[in-house]
Amino acid sequence: MASEYVIEMNHIRKEFPGIVANDDITLQLKKGEIHALLGENGAGKSTLMSVLFGLYQPEAGTIKKDGVEVEINNPNDATALGIGMVHQHFKLIDVFSVLDNIILGAETVGKLGFLKKKEARKKVLELSEKYGLKVDIDAKVEDITVGMQQRVEILKMLYRDNDILIFDEPTAVLTPQEIDELMEIMRGFAREGKSILFITHKLNEIMAVSDRVTVLRKGKCIGTVNTKDTNKQELSNMMVGRPVQLEIKKDEAKPENVILKVEGLTVPSKIHKNDAVKGISFDVRKGEIVCIAGIDGNGQTELIYGLTGLEKASAGKVTLCGHDISHASIRKRSEAGMSHIPEDRHKHGLVLAYTLEQNLVLQKYKEPQFQKHGFIRFDEVRKYADKLIEEYDVRSGQGPVTVARSMSGGNQQKAIIARELDREEPLIVAVQPTRGLDVGAIEHIHKQLIAERDKGKAVLLVSLELDEVMGLSDRILVLYEGEIVGELNPKETDVQELGLYMSGAKRQERGAEEC
Amino acid sequence: MLRLDPDTGKQKWYRSDASKSVLSAIISIIIGMAVGTLIIVIVGLTKDGISLKGMWEGIRLVFLGVFSTGRSEGNLTFGFNPVNMGNMLFRATPLIMTGLSVAVAFKTGLFNIGAAGQYLMGTMGTLTVGHVLGNTDCPIVIAWLAAFLAGVVLGGLWGAIPGIFKAFLNINEVITCIMTNWIAANLVTWWFDAHDIFKNAAEGGKVGYIIPLKNVGVVTPKMGMDVLFPGSQANGGFWIACIIAVVMYIMMTKTTFGYELRACGSNRHAAKYAGINDKRNIILSMVISGSLAAAGASLYYLAGNTEFFWSTYLSLPAEGFNGIPVALLASNNPIAVVFSGVLMSMLNIAGTQLKSLTAYNEYIADIIIAIIVYLSAFSMFIKQFINNREKKKGGNK
Repeated sequence: MASEYVIEMNHIRKEFPGIVANDDITLQLKKGEIHALLGENGAGKSTLMSVLFGLYQPEAGTIKKDGVEVEINNPNDATALGIGMVHQHFKLIDVFSVLDNIILGAETVGKLGFLKKKEARKKVLELSEKYGLKVDIDAKVEDITVGMQQRVEILKMLYRDNDILIFDEPTAVLTPQEIDELMEIMRGFAREGKSILFITHKLNEIMAVSDRVTVLRKGKCIGTVNTKDTNKQELSNMMVGRPVQLEIKKDEAKPENVILKVEGLTVPSKIHKNDAVKGISFDVRKGEIVCIAGIDGNGQTELIYGLTGLEKASAGKVTLCGHDISHASIRKRSEAGMSHIPEDRHKHGLVLAYTLEQNLVLQKYKEPQFQKHGFIRFDEVRKYADKLIEEYDVRSGQGPVTVARSMSGGNQQKAIIARELDREEPLIVAVQPTRGLDVGAIEHIHKQLIAERDKGKAVLLVSLELDEVMGLSDRILVLYEGEIVGELNPKETDVQELGLYMSGAKRQERGAEEC
Repeated sequence: MLRLDPDTGKQKWYRSDASKSVLSAIISIIIGMAVGTLIIVIVGLTKDGISLKGMWEGIRLVFLGVFSTGRSEGNLTFGFNPVNMGNMLFRATPLIMTGLSVAVAFKTGLFNIGAAGQYLMGTMGTLTVGHVLGNTDCPIVIAWLAAFLAGVVLGGLWGAIPGIFKAFLNINEVITCIMTNWIAANLVTWWFDAHDIFKNAAEGGKVGYIIPLKNVGVVTPKMGMDVLFPGSQANGGFWIACIIAVVMYIMMTKTTFGYELRACGSNRHAAKYAGINDKRNIILSMVISGSLAAAGASLYYLAGNTEFFWSTYLSLPAEGFNGIPVALLASNNPIAVVFSGVLMSMLNIAGTQLKSLTAYNEYIADIIIAIIVYLSAFSMFIKQFINNREKKKGGNK
């Protein structure tokens, strides 16, 4: 019976101050299977994998490899046991070449301490050939795409002859086509007899590729099921602990007058000499959700920066509710009727050292409601914060006085959304509002955005999630290399076509269809 | 873990972050004093000529230096010593101001290591204007105010330089502060070297010093300090420093301006996103910080009998750097800065008492200060320790 499972984690318990991250979790990985680990943010997936990879020591429980109990005290022990991990945030050295990154830490060295790169190169090329992992072996990591960086990470594991491969949310950064490729690669590994642990909270991928699924919720193991015996709805209910509405339900949009009009907007890039946004024009009307779709890095960030004033646009005109705001300051734009749910909630969205209530008045502190002669009216701020916390169900340890840093990612995002939606501005710019959130929170945010639309707001959404793009938007604008290459109606298109536009393989000529 | 009081819904005062900061500062002080005591004992045991009684006297002076009233019949006497007490407050004044300077900058995310340069610029402004106006018919009140403001404004401008570099070119303020420190040191030397009217040529042994402001009558009023502490150097400058500390506290915590400053300090990008002018605020907080340091110099030299050795191009005033430990020990709280400033100068007084009354020298006080500062840098660690103990207790319930 020893050999049915290559890895057994039995009754693992791991505590952090004030929280039990893993409570009596048992996970059994069969040889040659793709085993998905599903759970919301904070369910304990990453902790469990860190225990397996030797980054944390569990308080209780045992780990068995091929039926023999082992002790994994650090990542080196894990590597010695053949366990490899692709982290969510890649652990690569940007200025090293692909080859150097792969052999780093496992170098073969000659007599005088010189690297034997030739052998290494041969082995890497063989592996890359065998598994169809296309990489440019001499390029620097900083110059290659995110997808290729991920293949480098995978090659790192293969180079070390690992046969238990952990993938921590590997698809978060990939395009639909790249995701398909990765799935194929994973199936190839499984056929080879390698065992894969696949951490995710995306149900489509689990259904597509995995053999079995273990669901975690709030540090507890909810159960392990065979993928073919279950469905998305059941899995998401297990994950969230209540029935979740997966399909986004919304009524037909009733667009009215134009709220935001963008003409020929050009924004220079911070990274290269060319413009990141090349003179694009579009408009957003009252009562509709317009989505900017595209693969990350095609100018979305710069477009939003130029629109909101975080960066200066070099050309073009932006009109909001009839006011020309092309050269207005951020505060002026915000007062002209723009609320902005930023892409990076830690960089822009929150002052992490401030309390929740202080963050909730980040734009409003100067309004007469919250200050008198320059003195903050703390009682009013508290009252307002209590109201928002109640209305938007923002959960935190100490209510309004919780320091933002100590809140969970989902609740930080809820706080930002509460702040921005409550400002009741006619235009809502929402950039990846559900990034990194779990199914329950995503459902909630989607409902809120649709409710805002139905209240007559104009919503400009930037999203990398295809499901979100297809489900939420009334109109899709595809951004490719800083240009709008297509305007699609989500009802008349599908993910495949969208993917072709996103990858630049297809484009519409957008003529003079101005309104 | 129960963090909120179930009855009132508020945090219990002894669980709050502020009281933990105070506790960790007190722990640092106690450890510092204990080490000082230990050193006195070790020195006493290893050096000839110090008796057990001598050691005991040393220890008592370390703790009660300001209350020392000298010796009678061979024994140390203690009691209320107005001269020591007054001098303690007098010497605390510039420390409080430079401490405030560093603390306010810290709160806004900037490390003002340029307090020394700003202090020197304040010295220059105050002494120059004080002397020029003191020699005219200008009323003393006006002359005093002008001299004080000249120092403050000059220090503020000096602080603005690193602020401007930080805001527009994103150059780390530490580097520019160090540079402006030495520029100030040379500028001040040049200024006084070139203007003989300020130099004290009348008194022998005072060559290289600037004429004290008492000679021209531009002096801070005593504001009751001469009644409280007769015979000491204490004057109204201490009260002014206390008032400024309270104003700073209110500004930082209660006003929208302080809210903006702190937002810029903790997350410049988020502040910008919210429509706050981040560049303006970075410069402003350096201006405020510079003015505070300079005000310390102004108050010190406006005491009247203090003398400035103008050839500073080889050394920077210690007050500028001592502001850093004062702010650290106070966890950057403006009100607490007053207390930590007084504590530092109390240890200083204890040092002079040690030197004049026992076989020990004043450097023991410096060692104690160094240890306290060192430990206060660990205040985060000590706070963590307190937190952990609390958690363990919570777990046993």
